Amino acid sequence: MLKVHNLSKNYGSRSVLNDVSFNVKEGEVIGLVGENGAGKSTLLQILATLQRPTSGSITLYDKSYENKKKLRKEIGFVPQDIAIWDEFTVEENMVFFEKLAWGNKTKDQLKKLCLDMKLDRWKEPVTSLSGGMKRKLNIAISLIHDPNLLLLDEPTVGIDLKSRKEIGNYLQRLASDKGKIILYTSHDMDEIITLCDRIVCIGEDPFYQDLLQKAGKSIIPV
Amino acid sequence: MKAIVQTRLIHLKKHWVSLIFWLAFPVIATVAIMGLTNSLQQDSKVPVGIVLEETTPLATTLVDSIKRTPIIQVYQLSEEEALYQLQQHKLDSVFIIQDGYEEQIMKGSRNRLIKSYRSDLSFAYTPIAEMIISYVQQDTGRTKAAYTIQELNKQYSNSTQNWTWGEIIEKSKDIEKEENLLYTTFRFFNADTEADANQFVLFNPWGLWAVFAFLSTCMIMDWIIKERRKSLTPRFSFMHISLKSYLLKNAGLYLLLFIIVDIMTLILFKFNMREVITQDLIGSILSFRLILLMGAFLLAILSTRLPTYYGISFILTLIIAIISGAILPNEGLMTQYPWLEIANPLAPFLSREIGYGWFIVFGSLIGIWFVRKEKRNVKGA
Repeated sequence: MLKVHNLSKNYGSRSVLNDVSFNVKEGEVIGLVGENGAGKSTLLQILATLQRPTSGSITLYDKSYENKKKLRKEIGFVPQDIAIWDEFTVEENMVFFEKLAWGNKTKDQLKKLCLDMKLDRWKEPVTSLSGGMKRKLNIAISLIHDPNLLLLDEPTVGIDLKSRKEIGNYLQRLASDKGKIILYTSHDMDEIITLCDRIVCIGEDPFYQDLLQKAGKSIIPV
Repeated sequence: MKAIVQTRLIHLKKHWVSLIFWLAFPVIATVAIMGLTNSLQQDSKVPVGIVLEETTPLATTLVDSIKRTPIIQVYQLSEEEALYQLQQHKLDSVFIIQDGYEEQIMKGSRNRLIKSYRSDLSFAYTPIAEMIISYVQQDTGRTKAAYTIQELNKQYSNSTQNWTWGEIIEKSKDIEKEENLLYTTFRFFNADTEADANQFVLFNPWGLWAVFAFLSTCMIMDWIIKERRKSLTPRFSFMHISLKSYLLKNAGLYLLLFIIVDIMTLILFKFNMREVITQDLIGSILSFRLILLMGAFLLAILSTRLPTYYGISFILTLIIAIISGAILPNEGLMTQYPWLEIANPLAPFLSREIGYGWFIVFGSLIGIWFVRKEKRNVKGA
């Protein structure tokens, strides 16, 4: 379980997150929504141990966030920018990151990981892939070390509907079949409503809360 | 380390052509420039025909002296061939060392020892003739002095020891070497003067190599900027190796690669340029390579954009080429600005020393960079 308690983050005198608290169980897909600058990416980066909170505490499976190195083995982070080697093939990208990842995976296992996401162009260079395929590879690389907590920062931005659906379906399967905790930011409300079990609204703008209430989604109070 | 080697090989598979080009660039450029300048030097020498009518030691020594003169290309020919080539203007002038040269010299005679020919297009006849005359006068003067000493020895010395003519001549040559009054030579910063005194080498090969090696190291180390892409940086937080360790360990692999190439360069220079391999040379090459790599590593760490990095690399290469004295003589510059010698990273290498100063500076900076924590509070909420 992921427990976030009274989490705050300030940049100088500017407060970005103020006393955010919520819990997430295994197998849940949680959406993070809010206007630009509300602090979604900041919250995701704090959960990914890439930033320190100003105050508050986080635990993942009762492990404190103080020991970042140990914790990072449990975390998969999908950055908003596509973080892959453009000059490599899909295979080379997967093998490259596997060599530097915790734990070992065979080439077949890596290939299966890609195929599960409907990424079947194993030998092709990244430059020949569509935006959707690149996004899938971006996610697949973050899953190489088999993390229990997957944090995705707008993973489907700028891609076609089919690829978006495929990624969404895969993430739902990952949560339900393997009990992974998935936190997901997106500006696409339809995607959030379809994909996520519960939603955290960041920021003070009531727009998102109203929209979600009308859609009958469960909102996590922060 | 196995993972580092494997991941590096994936990268190198994509860039092997440029890697090989830049690895080979210093040695190829050095050999090409040395070859070109040597051939240009040969072409610009004045062609002079020498006809040797006798092969006595004094006559052959004179020919050797003329041959060692850097501005003359000596062709030893028969009289007939030499005069024919002079007529064809293939030779600037012809000098015939006549039969009986040594005998005349030993008698102290200075008349009609050498016969010379010139054509209407001989532009260097006068200075060459003067130069040859000076060599002959040196021999006659020395001989005359030897006879005078022998005479004085007979008249005034009570010693039973009699010096031979040959001994006096050898002694006078030794004294000439030790007490040369007029000794000027063109030399490079920190070059071995004795070796270069008569060779007039236009470039110091190791100096040239060092300048090109500086540029090639910078060009090869551009992988640091390419692989330190902002988008890829967060990935390394979720791997068993940090980005800094990844960069440092890869730099270590490149160091190994550079050292292998440097050893091959050393062997090539040994056979191609008759370079003597000494422990000092090997030590200075290794330390120079380490300093170069550390310098390029730091420059790449500080740069975020490739064009800026390439620009700075070229400018630094140019500055180092000028201040190092490796390509142009810089003694005037060094006299005026002595601190340049300390600032010059090539100086320890060119004087076959280990550059401890640069090693400590670069090593400390890399150490600080490695232990320094990255600022985590990035914007982008």
